[in-house]
Amino acid sequence: KGFLSLPDAVTCFRALCCKGPPPPRPEYDLVCIGLTGSGKTSLLSQLCSESPENIVSTTGFSIKAVPFQNAILNVKELGGADNIRKYWSRYYQGSQGVIFVLDSASSEDDLETARNELHSALQHPQLCTLPFLILANHQDKPAARSVQEIKKYFELEPLARGKRWILKPCSLDDMEAVKDSFTLLISLLEERELEPSRM
Amino acid sequence: MSSSRPRVAAPGPEKKPPPGAGGVLSRLRGRRGSGDAALRAGLPRSEAELLELETVRPEHVLGLGRVTENYLCKPEDNIYNIDFTRFKIRDLETGTVLFEIAKPSASEQDDDEEDDNGDVDTSAGRFVRYQFTPAFLRLRTVGATVEFTVGDKPVSNFRMIERHYFRDRLLKNFDFDFGFCIPSSRNTCEHIYEFPQLSEDLIRLMVEHPYETRSDSFYFVDNKLIMHNKADYAYNGGQ
Repeated sequence: KGFLSLPDAVTCFRALCCKGPPPPRPEYDLVCIGLTGSGKTSLLSQLCSESPENIVSTTGFSIKAVPFQNAILNVKELGGADNIRKYWSRYYQGSQGVIFVLDSASSEDDLETARNELHSALQHPQLCTLPFLILANHQDKPAARSVQEIKKYFELEPLARGKRWILKPCSLDDMEAVKDSFTLLISLLEERELEPSRM
Repeated sequence: MSSSRPRVAAPGPEKKPPPGAGGVLSRLRGRRGSGDAALRAGLPRSEAELLELETVRPEHVLGLGRVTENYLCKPEDNIYNIDFTRFKIRDLETGTVLFEIAKPSASEQDDDEEDDNGDVDTSAGRFVRYQFTPAFLRLRTVGATVEFTVGDKPVSNFRMIERHYFRDRLLKNFDFDFGFCIPSSRNTCEHIYEFPQLSEDLIRLMVEHPYETRSDSFYFVDNKLIMHNKADYAYNGGQ
């Protein structure tokens, strides 16, 4: 006859156009660090739509694939207790970005420890060229320091000059804002992919 | 240091084989490639050959075409005291936890009785039987979380290779590098697991033949096999 029946035509059309599954989302490997109690596990669990109940202190690593609309972040979260922090650098190799979480309402001593750890990370040979997302968490607490205070105290302007970093306030009760911060990080990760590789 | 990204076996060799290497060797060579020239000469592929080996390495198990009859190592080979304490599967499309099993903590377990006969079934902790409903085989993406503890020795280069079969057919090979593990740590890893596309016929067969879907989980430290767990699966639950 020379004509396709309608069902055959539809099948043909589908076979030609739907050649396979859509291209997978790009994946990025990230490391998530910060002192114990800063809220790393809670934030990442909430991003994965997991229940915030039964969260215990991480005493090793916790690897999660965190899905976003346009990327999947494979995050290796590391426990922040004293005896675990000394092993952080064992996990840096292969990272494409860093998430640093701090408790905006912590004691002066703890804030100083957090600052030292952030500075070490910013200068570590395996992390120093990577984008950093710094989350000033626990903003819901009355004692929380503002982002301006944190930026000043952590000396980010002089110390992190020339590096790509984002500093954002956050708390568990506003996950939309947390997601927005991660979206910004994903943009930095995408930009980096487009650059010619350097030694 | 090894990365932590999961390595899913693609159909066919991952890398272009070097000149002179045959197709079989390319398939058996893991993503990182074996540097051991002696192995390239004649890679053992049958379980019998592996049982003869002094040390079983990742490239050996990657060539297995069916689930093994025997365990390829002894419980005592787990010198790092790695213990799997929790396993959970979530449907990533809905977030629902489909399955979760956790080992009771040491304080909750009864003290083991003295067993003077030495008849303890040391394989009991190495085998799990799962029963799911047929709907499970229609899932597309799940998040599989595994939790494990490590003894007081640091573990470098911890890698898991898990192979799922229906009868003699490999359904999926899963290859995951945990990398370094901190001594006395408790670690979790959730990876996104994409179900292989199963034909209707295969799904029907898997439902009608409970426990003929089986898996071997091989665990390596520094490329040496230290643990081997097994599981089997039924998909006729709720019927």
